[in-house]
Amino acid sequence: MTRPISWAWRLAAGAVWLFTMPLLAHHSFGAEYDANKPVTLTGVVTRIEWTNPHCYLHLDVTDDKGHAANWKLEGYGPNSLYRTGWRKDVTMKPGDTVTVFGWRARDGTNWAHSREITFSDGKKLFFGPPAGTGDGGSTPAVKVP
Amino acid sequence: MRGFFLAPIVAMAFLPAALSSQTTAPGSAKAPPNAAVPRTSDGKPNLNGVWQGGSTRRGTWEEANSGLGVGGTGRDPAAPANPASQQVIREPAPYQPWAAQKVLESFNKRGIDDPTALCLPPGLPREAIVGLFPLQIVQTPQQIVILYEYMNVFRVIPLNARHPDDLVPTYMGDSVGHWEGDTLVVDVTGFNDKTWLTGTGTLHSEALHITERYTRVDKDQINYDVTMVDPNVLTKPWTIHLTIMLREGTRLQEYVCAENNLEPERHEKLLKDGVNFSRQ
Repeated sequence: MTRPISWAWRLAAGAVWLFTMPLLAHHSFGAEYDANKPVTLTGVVTRIEWTNPHCYLHLDVTDDKGHAANWKLEGYGPNSLYRTGWRKDVTMKPGDTVTVFGWRARDGTNWAHSREITFSDGKKLFFGPPAGTGDGGSTPAVKVP
Repeated sequence: MRGFFLAPIVAMAFLPAALSSQTTAPGSAKAPPNAAVPRTSDGKPNLNGVWQGGSTRRGTWEEANSGLGVGGTGRDPAAPANPASQQVIREPAPYQPWAAQKVLESFNKRGIDDPTALCLPPGLPREAIVGLFPLQIVQTPQQIVILYEYMNVFRVIPLNARHPDDLVPTYMGDSVGHWEGDTLVVDVTGFNDKTWLTGTGTLHSEALHITERYTRVDKDQINYDVTMVDPNVLTKPWTIHLTIMLREGTRLQEYVCAENNLEPERHEKLLKDGVNFSRQ
């Protein structure tokens, strides 16, 4: 990775100003969720809200100390999930045990943004976009002196 | 996880490829007819079909969004980042200093003031470059209709027509089009000032005037060249060059944003609780 990155930075530092179109999504990941607080949760699916603009997965999780809690995890909307192979009431159902990787909400509640779901058979699917989506990307659209 | 944060940098490493696909100059009207371009019975380039903005990759939706895909949608978490999932704009937006400051403020607030968080129509050209959702073009000799899955918004674009004299400002503006050779040129005016042009915070006024140029260069690709003029916020016309890619086999779906939109309440809570989410 080192070599292409340094090459890219040299390019970016050149005479031409460059920025990428931010990955456009409905909501602001960065405002609501903290990319510095990754979380991995294993639990039992209690409910799935297959709704626009975002789906929500509810998960019963028991931590190492035996404390149980219900987590709410945000994901893509149903249309994006459908196009990547998800099927409502088929791919994931209440009662399934899954492991979810994501990032915690900034308000410290049992709320998180989900990214990758690992099913009990080892299959993995994305349930939500990467960290940083929808919060403006890494570079603003303007250059302010 | 580190890879997610490196994705924009990796994307930049592939810049030459991304740029080369976007360097077809506008005004290809003078070029000889392109045999690779499907045509309607009246000889115009056939724009009918379901397309994906915000991408440079060919293929079906699934093929083009493998790996991380546009918006990170790809199915295979083990695949490398997709450099084509972010398109490149080559210069900063030419905002007047006061307006640039406002764009930057919004960026620093991580776009919490995004109008689409209220399920409002995204405006233009933003609606056309949202890569997560497809759009469908329906073409007749008299008019072009564009259906956007994102927010379920539509545009009716009469050809060789004039804008009405009594326009009331709207989110998506009023569009009229005409053919310049093989390029569909669409003139859009009559916008309200409640949308963003492209990314976070890119404000505009009701004086916004957009010219879109759609040039289908081969079976898979439309070059989408957009010039935005707004003397109230910009110092000069702002032109961006993007591509819209054919997605055969994809169908538009219903998208009812208000169904379960929790964001206004969440954002209000963040602000009320004093949670620090600012970049600075």
